[in-house]
Amino acid sequence: MTDLLAQLLGRRLLLVTGKGGTGKTTVAAALGRLAADSGVRTLVVELGHAPVLPELLGAAAAKPGREPDREPAAAGPNLFTLRLVPEEALLEYLELQLRVRALARGIVKNTGFRRFLEAAPGWRELITLGKLWHLATREDARGKPLWPLIVVDAPATGHGLSLLSVPTVILDTVRLGPLRRNTDLVQALLTDAKRTQVLIVTLLEELPVNETLELRERVRSLGLAPGPVVANGVEPPLELPDAERVLAAVARLDGARAPSPLADPVALCSAARHRLVRARMQAGFRDRLERELGAAPLELPWLPKGVDGPDGIAALAAHLRTAFARADRGDGP
Amino acid sequence: MKPERWLDCRVLVTVGTGGVGKTTVAAALGLAAARAGRRVLVMTIDPARRLADALGTGPLGHEPSEVPRERLRAAGVEGAGTLAAMMLDTKRTFDELVLRFAPDPAARERILSNPIYRNLTDALGGSREYSAMEKLRQMHVEGRYDLIVLDTPPASNALDFLDAPRRLSGFLEGQFLKVLLHPAAVVGRASLRIFRSGSELVLRGLERITGLEFLTSISEFLLAFEEMLGGFSERAREVAELLRDPSCGFVLVAGPDLQQAKSAESFWQRLEAEGIHLVGLVLNRVHVWTGGGAPPDEDPAAAERAIAWLAGELAATSPELDAQRSATALVDAARAQAALARRDASVRARLVRALPLDAESVRVVPLFSEDVHELAALARMVEQILGEPARA
Repeated sequence: MTDLLAQLLGRRLLLVTGKGGTGKTTVAAALGRLAADSGVRTLVVELGHAPVLPELLGAAAAKPGREPDREPAAAGPNLFTLRLVPEEALLEYLELQLRVRALARGIVKNTGFRRFLEAAPGWRELITLGKLWHLATREDARGKPLWPLIVVDAPATGHGLSLLSVPTVILDTVRLGPLRRNTDLVQALLTDAKRTQVLIVTLLEELPVNETLELRERVRSLGLAPGPVVANGVEPPLELPDAERVLAAVARLDGARAPSPLADPVALCSAARHRLVRARMQAGFRDRLERELGAAPLELPWLPKGVDGPDGIAALAAHLRTAFARADRGDGP
Repeated sequence: MKPERWLDCRVLVTVGTGGVGKTTVAAALGLAAARAGRRVLVMTIDPARRLADALGTGPLGHEPSEVPRERLRAAGVEGAGTLAAMMLDTKRTFDELVLRFAPDPAARERILSNPIYRNLTDALGGSREYSAMEKLRQMHVEGRYDLIVLDTPPASNALDFLDAPRRLSGFLEGQFLKVLLHPAAVVGRASLRIFRSGSELVLRGLERITGLEFLTSISEFLLAFEEMLGGFSERAREVAELLRDPSCGFVLVAGPDLQQAKSAESFWQRLEAEGIHLVGLVLNRVHVWTGGGAPPDEDPAAAERAIAWLAGELAATSPELDAQRSATALVDAARAQAALARRDASVRARLVRALPLDAESVRVVPLFSEDVHELAALARMVEQILGEPARA
């Protein structure tokens, strides 16, 4: 295992965030796959409304009688997925705290309380973090961590920052009581750089890169440790030496004599031009990231077929392993 | 509906998942309407700094900034059309509401200084969405603009922003708040008595978990809000009406991959169910085949022929170049482009089948080689949106 990867997998909680549409979910899943394949028992957690990880990672359907949003589903050796639903986590928490299941159920079924929850500020974020803390600190019968590594497919920038800032707000607002004590524990986990890191996924384009740099600063100002930045969707360069002269020569050819549409000079020039411009743009943003981060981002190639299942995730995980190895050598792709 | 007609709306709302280019499409629609001689305001929720640079407005803030006239002329706006942009500020929108609706200075102070209000306005259930809707209503009523284009916040759940006003007012008007605030006042009918005992149980349970101090803060916060309840509920209803008015059109923005197409479909179903007026779909960042006609099918033999022909031609006309290597790279690039164009066309066909839209309501914006962050690029996007509908 490479140094950087080993360092990362030695943490307890990895939060994967970034601008919407950059591929956070697939990167989180691939990181989980890579960790599991490296021998670390890993739980990948999603927070969305509809579960996508079981399909992406090929997790078995929940056994009859089991509660899918409470018990992790196995997706292979060392790899498990869980969807964290705030309402469900709240019920679980109330049961733990009140020690009377019927009372907890009574509370969450109360219509007024449900309405209260719909409008009340911050509780979803807090209970989500509370549940993550619970998962991160649970131990098995031998006193070993039940989940040595938890990878979270966290919400995109705006909602992600709301999530991470709620403990700070609660600690500013509440000075005493059980809520304060619990929030202290959560915050201690989040702000411990040895246990928690925030990975940001980006594309090598203007808006995602700007957002990445700002997000990193905001994460730092909340007291959390920003981890590596993952540049996703890096397009392959076009291996065309003397590109300008070649394209000029192609443009002079007579398209009417082309034996197939694939030899049409207009299409050839435009496809090549597009690739050259994209590659130049992406290289520019990669350099900017490297300058401002002080380290090159981990690069994942753009996969034209998309990533929609275990095979795609395995491929992405292999690319991720390569990217970590490159980062250790300190060389470019 | 033709995109030219979209611009006749008083309000246009762009919706879609994160990262599909909603903000850029909103700005392009704004520019298109300004070109048609209308006074336009684009409201965005993102700190769209690059967009502000492109528009030449300076940093966007809570008040509209006008795009300078010479910039507009350069982007093809002749005549009376104007374009302004602003960025929504949740906290300030709420502060304005408090100033407007607080019954007296003491109540105003109570809420503005409440720690929960000060710190958690952003996290208040759907507050970003609520404040976007509120600001939209306010600008609409003021009537300074012929058209307001609202770029909605990227929603994790399809249409949070439609629910937000309802959620907030539903809770503020609900019984739980009354019991929480005035337990003694709720007496009378048997059903209420049952409810009351249930709610007190809930409160006792909550107190054990959160502590008294927190419950006190949150009660004060809610109490302060209750005083403004009438104003808030009224606003929420007005916003709901505005969004369903025929002069308000929604434009769905989606990317061309299958996952994004699927979320566009579920978006659409929600909008329909809500009685929202849908005017069209912009499929953004689509790979197109630039060779004219439909992209060619995958055919290794045809690719071999193309490479052989091209290598021969290049060797004949430009002997100094590496003909074989260049021909292989170029034809591979064209093949890859054709494959993507086919994929995107199939996603587009799927969307056209799934959504009740005529061909001219579906607009395809090709993936430009570079980001759209200059006014010239925005103008190019306008041509794509207003131009001829893409071939089926």
